[in-house]
Amino acid sequence: MDTVSLAGLEFGTLSAIDIRGTQVELFTAGSGAPLLFLHGLDGLEGAAEVIRQLSEQFTVYAPSHPGFGGSQQSEGMNRVDDLGYFYLDLMDELELQQPAMVGANFGGWLAAEILTKEPARASSLTLISPLGLKTADRREQYVADIFMVAKQELAKRMQVGEPGPLQNVMTLPEEQLRRAMRNDEAMSLYGWTPYMCNPKLAGRLHRITCPTQILWGAEDAIATPAYHEAWAAAMPQADTATIEGAGFRLHADQPAAIAARIASLAGA
Amino acid sequence: MDIWQFSEQAYYPAFEVPGNMRVTLPQSECDPVEAGKLLNRYLDEYMLADELGLNIMINEHHAAATCMSTSCMTTLAILARQTKKARLLALGIPLANRSNPLRVAEEIAMADCLSGGRTEIGFVKGASYELFMSNRQPTGFMDRFWEAYDLIMAALTNEGENFSWEGEHFHYRTASLWPRPIQQPAPPIWMTASSAGSAATYGKMGTVCATFLSGSVARSVFSGYRQAYAAQFGHQAGRDRLGYLCLVSCAKDRSEAFRRAEQMKSYFTTAARLEPTFRNPLGFNPVEANVKMLMSGGGGGFRPLMRNGKPVPADGSIEEYMDAGLYFVGTPDDVYEQIARFHDEVGGFGHLLMMAQAGELDHAATADNLTLVAQEVAPRLKELQEVELDARYEGVG
Repeated sequence: MDTVSLAGLEFGTLSAIDIRGTQVELFTAGSGAPLLFLHGLDGLEGAAEVIRQLSEQFTVYAPSHPGFGGSQQSEGMNRVDDLGYFYLDLMDELELQQPAMVGANFGGWLAAEILTKEPARASSLTLISPLGLKTADRREQYVADIFMVAKQELAKRMQVGEPGPLQNVMTLPEEQLRRAMRNDEAMSLYGWTPYMCNPKLAGRLHRITCPTQILWGAEDAIATPAYHEAWAAAMPQADTATIEGAGFRLHADQPAAIAARIASLAGA
Repeated sequence: MDIWQFSEQAYYPAFEVPGNMRVTLPQSECDPVEAGKLLNRYLDEYMLADELGLNIMINEHHAAATCMSTSCMTTLAILARQTKKARLLALGIPLANRSNPLRVAEEIAMADCLSGGRTEIGFVKGASYELFMSNRQPTGFMDRFWEAYDLIMAALTNEGENFSWEGEHFHYRTASLWPRPIQQPAPPIWMTASSAGSAATYGKMGTVCATFLSGSVARSVFSGYRQAYAAQFGHQAGRDRLGYLCLVSCAKDRSEAFRRAEQMKSYFTTAARLEPTFRNPLGFNPVEANVKMLMSGGGGGFRPLMRNGKPVPADGSIEEYMDAGLYFVGTPDDVYEQIARFHDEVGGFGHLLMMAQAGELDHAATADNLTLVAQEVAPRLKELQEVELDARYEGVG
């Protein structure tokens, strides 16, 4: 698949890699210790600024997940559990033995899936508004149903500041619109039901033993405090912090604070 | 031409509630006693259609004030017992929203036995927004549809040993229909299309193909079907392979027919009452279809065209809907002439799927409408001549 120049990501290199027959686009930037950045529902572009700041201290590897952005959908994969195994292959291919690992929302869920399978594959783990734990209990919803919220309203609710670059679909040029539509489709594939979670993940999180922090926005309008607490309870080995002036996409609202915390945990 | 009575069986008292008519409309707005009265009334009208020699079509929707039939086969099973002669068409069963297709096959077989072999079965893609109620996976929707179709047809037509099924989407240790359907190898199968491309798929299969409220587009739908059918089977498809769904308001007096048509018009106006978010669930439409739709200004969807080439406005007049071929309104002579002309313009079709009740039209008016169509229009439509093949293909690009 052809890659295009991505908004806000002009400071690094976009390349295509082949993982067992699936073409994945990979953004790399910076120098220093390796860091694997796993993007969220807002795609690679939605994390451009925090990736830029991380690239000042790390060699950042930021792929688009299969089905998202410009990465092929891999035949037969329809669970984040599948993506977890896929990423172990990707890390082998890139010779990422033990990078610092960072995941934003959907990417946080993915990071947890990877590390519950091979806990030794990260030197540290930062989960930014992670999804993946049960998002509701019967009638009580812990995470807003993004599939039932109007696009424009959702674009506003995702963060305190301005919506991400792919969130206003009415004004995007065709190539970016295609990426936004692919992100939407992949979200549906992996997160429609059970809604944005793997019900088995909670029982596996104890396997993650590297230094771990979970970061939330103080003005999160997507995940409720009960969900934040559920993550803390499921990962007692992790530190939890709440960042002021930030919503669910806190990597977009407070990129400098997030990058500093990641560097601090990773000992960079 | 055969005529099929069809009503969406609306709970029209809720039309006064502001906002969405589907998905989010609170069920507290439904008075169940009133709903029961209306459902029985609509069944009475179906039974009248049977007595008048018309056929019957049933549909289903979910979480909607516009349609209280939440299961084609439940409604159809009642009529299987209570009617005598009518063919009974379910159009249709939203296959990819069903979690258990073998259960669908069981229901078809049971209703076919109850009715003495009068069922006809339509399988439909269904409305996109009903994914919110079924909660089935939006991606891979049509893959699932076709696997369910293959399984149901295998079960309905099976005359050998029971079989097991390990598919991509469905898994059964043993498939065994008790009872199995009277009609062998299976009841007639219907599909719906709104483009020549999708119609060609069904032409190749030889199923009946209906198009709903598509106006002049019906011509290309039918042409697409006929060409694929002829290529596959080596002879022309009969008109019994093709159906068209429309609204009909017939009265002795022309102005009365138009008055009734106004009462039915809320069928169209309520159809528009749903937020766009629910019309296009993420993952349902292919990426390229969404890109194309948004690059061309987004939303809107299909609007049938009037003779001047302009789309019918959402709140169009009766005359505008008539002009587009969605509505046939007037005296029996008027209605016959309008339908006959439309039949010839689109190349001919054998089934008129007729909404003789829609929106807020009351029972007395519906009964009169049905009676006039059955007694004064249907006999003449039976005699409609085939459209000459040359004329049929003329202008098909």
